Amino acid sequence: MTHTHLVLGALLAPLLTFALALIVFRKRHLVAAALVIGAGLVTLVSTLWLLLDHGTAPELITARWFSIGGIDIAFGALLDGRTLLMGAIVGVITFAVLVYSLGYMKDDPAKGRFFASLALFEWAMLSFAYAPNLLQGFIFWELVGLASFLLIGFWYHKPSAVAAAKKAFIMTRIGDVGMFIGLIMLFAATGTLDIVTLTDRFAAPGLPAGLSPGAVELIAGLLFLGVMGKSAQFPLHTWLPDAMEGPTPVSALLHSATMVAAGVFLFARFHEVFLDAPTVMGAALVIGTITALIASTMAVVQSDLKKILAYSSISQLGFMIVGLAAGSLFAGLFHLTTHAIFKALLFLSAGAFIHHFGTNDVVAIGRGGGRKRIVATIGLVTGGLALAGVPILSGFWSKEAILSALHEPGYRVFLIAAYIAAFLTAYYTFRMIFLVVLPRADSGAVIVEPMHPHHGADHGEPRSMAGPILVLAALAAVAGLPWIGDALGDLIGKGDQVHHASLVEMILPIGIVFAGIGLAWLDFGAKRAPQRGILAWLPSAQRLFENGWYIDSLYQKTVVALTDTVARALHFTETRGFDGAGDGVAAGVMATGRGAARTHTGRLPIFIGTAVVVVAAFSLFLALG
Amino acid sequence: MGDNAILTVLLMAPLVAMLGTLVIPAQHARAIKVLNAVVALVTLVVALVVWARYDTAVGGWQMTFDVPWVEGLGIHYSVGVDGIGVVLVLLNAIVFLTGVLSMWTLTLRVKEYFALMALLVCGVFGVFISRDLFVFFFLYEVAVLPMYPLIAIWGSTRKEYSAMKLTLYLMVGSALLFPGLIALFVKAGGTSWDLDTLAAALADKPGFQVFVYPFIYVGFGILAGMWPFHGWSPTGHVAAPTAVSMLHAGVLMKLGAFGILRVAIGVLPAGASFWAPTFAVLATIGIVYGAFVALKQTDFKYVIGFSSVSHMGIVLLGLNTLGRDGMSGAVFQMFAHGVMTALFFSAVGFIYEQTHDRDIRNFGGLSKQVPIAAAFFLVASLCGMGVPGFASFWAELLVFVAAFGRWPILGIFAIAALVITALYALRVIGTALLGPSNPRWDGLKDASPWAIVPRATLILVLVLFGFFPNWFLDVVHASLGSP
Repeated sequence: MTHTHLVLGALLAPLLTFALALIVFRKRHLVAAALVIGAGLVTLVSTLWLLLDHGTAPELITARWFSIGGIDIAFGALLDGRTLLMGAIVGVITFAVLVYSLGYMKDDPAKGRFFASLALFEWAMLSFAYAPNLLQGFIFWELVGLASFLLIGFWYHKPSAVAAAKKAFIMTRIGDVGMFIGLIMLFAATGTLDIVTLTDRFAAPGLPAGLSPGAVELIAGLLFLGVMGKSAQFPLHTWLPDAMEGPTPVSALLHSATMVAAGVFLFARFHEVFLDAPTVMGAALVIGTITALIASTMAVVQSDLKKILAYSSISQLGFMIVGLAAGSLFAGLFHLTTHAIFKALLFLSAGAFIHHFGTNDVVAIGRGGGRKRIVATIGLVTGGLALAGVPILSGFWSKEAILSALHEPGYRVFLIAAYIAAFLTAYYTFRMIFLVVLPRADSGAVIVEPMHPHHGADHGEPRSMAGPILVLAALAAVAGLPWIGDALGDLIGKGDQVHHASLVEMILPIGIVFAGIGLAWLDFGAKRAPQRGILAWLPSAQRLFENGWYIDSLYQKTVVALTDTVARALHFTETRGFDGAGDGVAAGVMATGRGAARTHTGRLPIFIGTAVVVVAAFSLFLALG
Repeated sequence: MGDNAILTVLLMAPLVAMLGTLVIPAQHARAIKVLNAVVALVTLVVALVVWARYDTAVGGWQMTFDVPWVEGLGIHYSVGVDGIGVVLVLLNAIVFLTGVLSMWTLTLRVKEYFALMALLVCGVFGVFISRDLFVFFFLYEVAVLPMYPLIAIWGSTRKEYSAMKLTLYLMVGSALLFPGLIALFVKAGGTSWDLDTLAAALADKPGFQVFVYPFIYVGFGILAGMWPFHGWSPTGHVAAPTAVSMLHAGVLMKLGAFGILRVAIGVLPAGASFWAPTFAVLATIGIVYGAFVALKQTDFKYVIGFSSVSHMGIVLLGLNTLGRDGMSGAVFQMFAHGVMTALFFSAVGFIYEQTHDRDIRNFGGLSKQVPIAAAFFLVASLCGMGVPGFASFWAELLVFVAAFGRWPILGIFAIAALVITALYALRVIGTALLGPSNPRWDGLKDASPWAIVPRATLILVLVLFGFFPNWFLDVVHASLGSP
């Protein structure tokens, strides 16, 4: 097997099965599912093989595709540390989700379409990750967005799902427009979109020839807009919580290895460019920090299991951006990796609860006997421990890498903010765990959405669902261990950024995590805990967080209203202005014609009278002239 | 069949269809449809042969044929194709065939309908292959005039009003064009209407070029849906029957853009470079304006009509960049938009035929009721949004890159309009295709295999060029020269 074969297999198998499942086997669900899962397996094996078999230098496998401005742009794959890592994450998580979906979507009448869309998603994401140039990157970036649209709106009979799908597409597209302009400017300024070339040029000390610092800042800023849209960074984050309207396996994929990961990956892929734009990096650090903080406040007050996880995704993505913006490629990508695993795990476990209890409400799940679902509970607790950053699970190590990247003198504020966000993360994660695992019928917790169990018999999760959960749980536990971190650092060529913290250094982060867990214990876990949360004492803060800091309603009142007003005004211009003017001209011509016709009455006296007047006037004119 | 007769065959085939249609008695409607379908298929094959025979390595005019027609006035029947002509001829043949197939269920005055449509197609082919300006204009009028009866008789929604409005607007365009073209002829010595000869003769008269350019640009621009003279186009789209909408937005509007490319820019390069910034601004306004107005429409066809204004704005913007990338992007967009709108209208027509309703608010969940027909609409919308994987992505990419290079501000506006485009497209999709279904339409029949064939063909074309843009661009570049 040469690398070319492996790349072709990894990229073509999902595409081919997408087309087959959608066009030929849409109604023959099992065939469609089997094909797509088979393709997922091919991709899994190929991406892992490529990862384990990597050389030291970047490897290009491309073919000529398109030319613009006299410059050829190739299609294919660039294999280096970053792309191989991302490809393997996509391969692993997608395969887990595909298998899980077999059980989760068993009774869905549109299973064929579902698996076809997942194949499209995988193909788009993998082609994005492996892209050897930014144009291919952008194309598949857009297709990732399209696949997300189709999957978020999968249950399209629900108006909320349709609205969420539209919102996701539009909001990410706002970022994409920025990225598109950035791409064009980058191309105009450097004459290439080739990633290796660009990376080399920007990695060299100083700026590439012919580029002013302002131009680099502008290009980096525009590219970062795309990152903000896709990776749901403040203030473009509001689409992601709504996106959980899609089936839960989709959320698992979208929140971990695909859609939102694309933004962070773009940031990492062009890290060399961003490093040459200190202002943008500073702004990214601020945005990432704000995102990490406010999203975790929102997660604290949710009662919907998937919403808690959705806000935690936003917050964790903020952490990744912080790590990258602080200059550590390793920290950002390491957290991307571990987060992909434990967040996929959390969503799959949540799906197992939701599937069984017919509700998303954490309190209802807990009181309904959530902890009796052994596999799901194992998944939720393991994923939760990793998310909260409890040693020695994976999230602990990667979060530690981000925090230690902030140990520069200038980053003091951000470090403190990151600690607060980490504290909140531990708190809301364990709030969720305690509500599910240690429910009390007489506590102050309120059920918002009662359960609608649709399974009469109390059987466990089907094997197709339990398997992926257990495998991912095992991975989430170990994926952060120091030797894996070292290997990852070497893979992306940033071994020097790997930081082995001493035990003394770890005391503070560990202490903060346990403080968060402790507060959650007092609020939700302990025997007589009120299970209402400390924020019940601060109703105004509670309302603020519940309403997502009113950011969405602000958009409704400003951007949405403005767009509507402009559209209305232009519509008025069109109907009254242009059409009105056209009709007016026509009416004027008709009226003139009618007026002229009225003088042609055929009556002799008028005719003679007119003739006399005209002749008289003409004679007068001649006589006087 | 020699190379120089092939284009004449292409031009005559629709005429044969028209004459045949006139000869067949009206009660044999089926025979008329079969005849037209066969002829359309023949033109498609011929168009593909033209594509295959066109030698991109040589470029320039090929398959030429020239005989004098009116010697005294220097008028020649002179035809030939360059790379741009090749792709547009193919577009016309594709839309002709799919248009005939999507009117298969027509029952009202079948004979007259197909006769007029064939005449229109003949005119369009003629324009795309003319090298003589007089023949160009003559066939241009042949293509435009059948629109009036086609809309007034077979249309819907205020059809007489729309037909009259369209005709008057286009007449205004011709009224600007005709004196402009005569001025070209006279000023160039009054001996030849040949496009290349005219261009050569006028090369040293930049002042005259600047003077006459706007007449010709606006004259053709009206047919291309140029803002602010676009008013006829959405109304016309809405009123026209399915296949006429397809031809109308699919190829007829391209005649306007093609006229600008071939006559205005081709013959008057100095005028073009003088006026380019002005017309680029108008084109950009059209892009943004069309998208916003589409956002407020409730009729399927009005949405598509205003989206056409917006998309044709991209064509005009690309043309006005006057560079190789921008112009090849514009030609690509002409092609992609042609195929895409044909798909749009044929999908809407399919639903309208059964429901006699086009108000998007009266629909919902069509994806459940008629999944295949809805999928056609969805694909057309995705293409309209410029989603990669479809032909229009490349077209827009080329135009935006070129426009951004010349006028960054206009480029930013044009690119930002992509968000509005997504808004209006998703609004239609979200309201009519998705969401809870309206039980009133539960009994709708989904597309039969016969209805699938023409539409699937259009999708195939969009996807094929979406993945292999160079198959298209290599041909176009052959006539736009090296970068």
